[in-house]
Amino acid sequence: MSEPLELSKKYQHMVTQCSRCGFCRMVCPIFDITKNWATNAGGKMVLIKEIIDEKTKPSEGIAKSLLNCTTCMNCTINCPSGVDPPEVIRAARKDMVNLGYDNMFKAMSDVIAKTGNLYGEEEKPDWGHKHEKAPYVLFVGCVGTYRERESVEKTIKLLDILGVKFTMIDEVCCSGVLEDVGYQARKELARHNINEFHRTGAKTLITTCPYCYRTFKNHPFYKDLNLELKHITQFLAEYDFKVKTDKKVTYHDPCDLGRHEGIYEEPRQIIRKIAPNFVEPERTRENAMCCGAGGGVRGSFPKESITIARNRLRKIIEETGAEILLTECPSCLHNFRNAKLRRWNIEIYNITEFIAILYKEMDVRETVAA
Amino acid sequence: MNNMHKFIDIVGEDNFSDKIEDLIPYSYDASINVYRPDALIWPETKEQISQIVTIANKKGVPIIPRGAGTSLSGGVIAIEGGIVIDVSKMNKIIEIKIEDRYATVQPGVICDDLNKELSKYKFIFPPDPASSSVSTIGGNVATNAGGIKGAKYGTTRDYVLGLEVVIPTGEIMHTGAHTMKCVSGYDLPKLFTGSEGTLGVITEVTLKINPVPLHAMTAMATFDRLEDAGHAISETMTGSNLIPSVMEILDKVTLKSIRENTSLELPECEAMLLTETDGYTWQEVEAQMMVILEIFKKNNPLTIKTAKEEKERMELWEARKGAYATLSRISTGVLDDVTVPISKFTDLLVGVQEISKKRGLVIGTYGHAGDGNLHPQILYDTYDPEQVKKMEMVESDLFHLAVSLNGTLTGEHGIGLSKADYMGLEHDSVEMEVMKKIKKALDPNNIMNPGKMALHF
Repeated sequence: MSEPLELSKKYQHMVTQCSRCGFCRMVCPIFDITKNWATNAGGKMVLIKEIIDEKTKPSEGIAKSLLNCTTCMNCTINCPSGVDPPEVIRAARKDMVNLGYDNMFKAMSDVIAKTGNLYGEEEKPDWGHKHEKAPYVLFVGCVGTYRERESVEKTIKLLDILGVKFTMIDEVCCSGVLEDVGYQARKELARHNINEFHRTGAKTLITTCPYCYRTFKNHPFYKDLNLELKHITQFLAEYDFKVKTDKKVTYHDPCDLGRHEGIYEEPRQIIRKIAPNFVEPERTRENAMCCGAGGGVRGSFPKESITIARNRLRKIIEETGAEILLTECPSCLHNFRNAKLRRWNIEIYNITEFIAILYKEMDVRETVAA
Repeated sequence: MNNMHKFIDIVGEDNFSDKIEDLIPYSYDASINVYRPDALIWPETKEQISQIVTIANKKGVPIIPRGAGTSLSGGVIAIEGGIVIDVSKMNKIIEIKIEDRYATVQPGVICDDLNKELSKYKFIFPPDPASSSVSTIGGNVATNAGGIKGAKYGTTRDYVLGLEVVIPTGEIMHTGAHTMKCVSGYDLPKLFTGSEGTLGVITEVTLKINPVPLHAMTAMATFDRLEDAGHAISETMTGSNLIPSVMEILDKVTLKSIRENTSLELPECEAMLLTETDGYTWQEVEAQMMVILEIFKKNNPLTIKTAKEEKERMELWEARKGAYATLSRISTGVLDDVTVPISKFTDLLVGVQEISKKRGLVIGTYGHAGDGNLHPQILYDTYDPEQVKKMEMVESDLFHLAVSLNGTLTGEHGIGLSKADYMGLEHDSVEMEVMKKIKKALDPNNIMNPGKMALHF
């Protein structure tokens, strides 16, 4: 308990800079459902400031409260005072763990170390794409592999249809998410992935998961990656597709892809090619509301996480009247699918998954015609 | 407090907290005042509020009503502990009655959300505080919030037709009417508007609404002398035969912080005026603007520019609305809102600069020049006791200056805790006594937001 808050203290200036103007209230997915200022970015900055200034002692409750943030960065983008709350919150979460306030993600960290994936799954699916050498290597990540398997299968199918020469590896978790919830990414896992990538001789690494993309791009453990890195929407942006849908389609910007990495245009470039009837939700691009899955909230506060996803989905349906919601993030996809009410007449897919389905439908039509 | 289970029984566990991690953030608003409440309640109905207040009144427990908590005066700070009643969950628009020109809302409705809904009918609730994207109507009423359109469209008080209030006994009072005019009895809606939560908890508000002007035009002018900007303002407001919908001023310090922290290319100058005209036809709007620009031209401007594109206009207003928070990127600060008669506005501008020089603290200045309401933002280091002392002296200087110019301590932020000590400077002892008598008559146990407005009796 006596250890200093060394990580948070680096942000003393930033938390002091928060003017408590409250502008983060209008964009925070957590505040949106709690209406509790303490769960909002500004409230958390105040809490962390009091701890840094030693006016308040850290506690179990404070540590838990700091976990209630999806790190979606909507507050960052909209903060006129220039504060980046998720960055401060991440540091404070680590301090809490260092002070002895472990959280539920300690178990996840152990599970990742033991099994190489977030969920402690023993068996990996065989995607059937382990060629030794290829110009491209595809990384699909834990959530896709173990929670949205069908979606991943269709994404892989699409790459096959498009004739992409790619290979896959014996993946282990990129482990970047641990940094969000108070723990350290795991070097041995990073090393394993890097070695596997290099073994393929690929020049380009394609990720389907925006969080894995962020980790590969930014985490020091991956500094030796030495591969061109592309999110799958970037990779496919220039491709032409032989399929189209007449349905009304909309798109949800994943926080990890949009606000965190600035990738807004490429997904839209793809969607416009396949869906002439494309309509944006009211809150979109930089202002897109989070799906509620990020920053550990899905694990720590599952009920709230689903409520956030349901609210986002409800708004999207009301605002756009779309029949198809596309995104390109396994976590968003998973949370939305779990949150969707049966009576809602909307289908939810990753973009790549949806295009593969359109190809399949085209095949069926052609077969029937023949 | 031993009565917490009673409150939980009323609102349910999810709407109550006395956890330290929740109480700490609620010890703050946007001012520098910090005191911790004992508990937080998020009621969902007026009946719940009535029951809570009834118990609190019997036990002498302070009640602090709170909206978005953006108060710049410590208006929602629990200086004597007690229970914060956060009305954010009471956020329903109850009725929009275009044919009768009013809207009735719960206190937690966000100002911009109401206007978004009203815009469907081409109507608007005009008072436009910089915090309108998050401020609640309950908070706007409790503080009589103003904003950038005050000179032409007035402040919240001008639009409050009726209120439903839980008074300190716990009874639910309905006051006012649904009519455009009403002189039936004392004007209690006007008394409760701006009463800073010291007389009761507002649970419903009926507001007059206006048709949206169909056209608007924005222009900006820069000056290298504050006096020239000041003269341009007073001449426009008094000698042009028109009232612009907006007349804002931003000084050098503020402009620099906006320039360095946004993508807006604002000029380097001593002062910038932002003005807007609005009306039913474009010709009318343009004709008004021509008159204002002629006045600007006579007062030695460096540049004059009209923002023709809607995007450009919105960016300018966004920058202005974010001025307070943007300045906090330079330094922590205290934001005041002294207000003077329009003819004294130039004296106020120059006086603020002199105070800044005399006390050695930077002051960023901006505000609603059209109604004489200035926002000096005193920049200082909160961790440096010397600078804290200087800041307090600057505040005192500002209040004395405003009152000496026949002005007021506060045009729109309220007295709260921050200016309570200066009430005697502006209000004579007879008036203070009347205010205290009103407070005592309604709240004999002094439970409603105690410590605010120097109303102790």
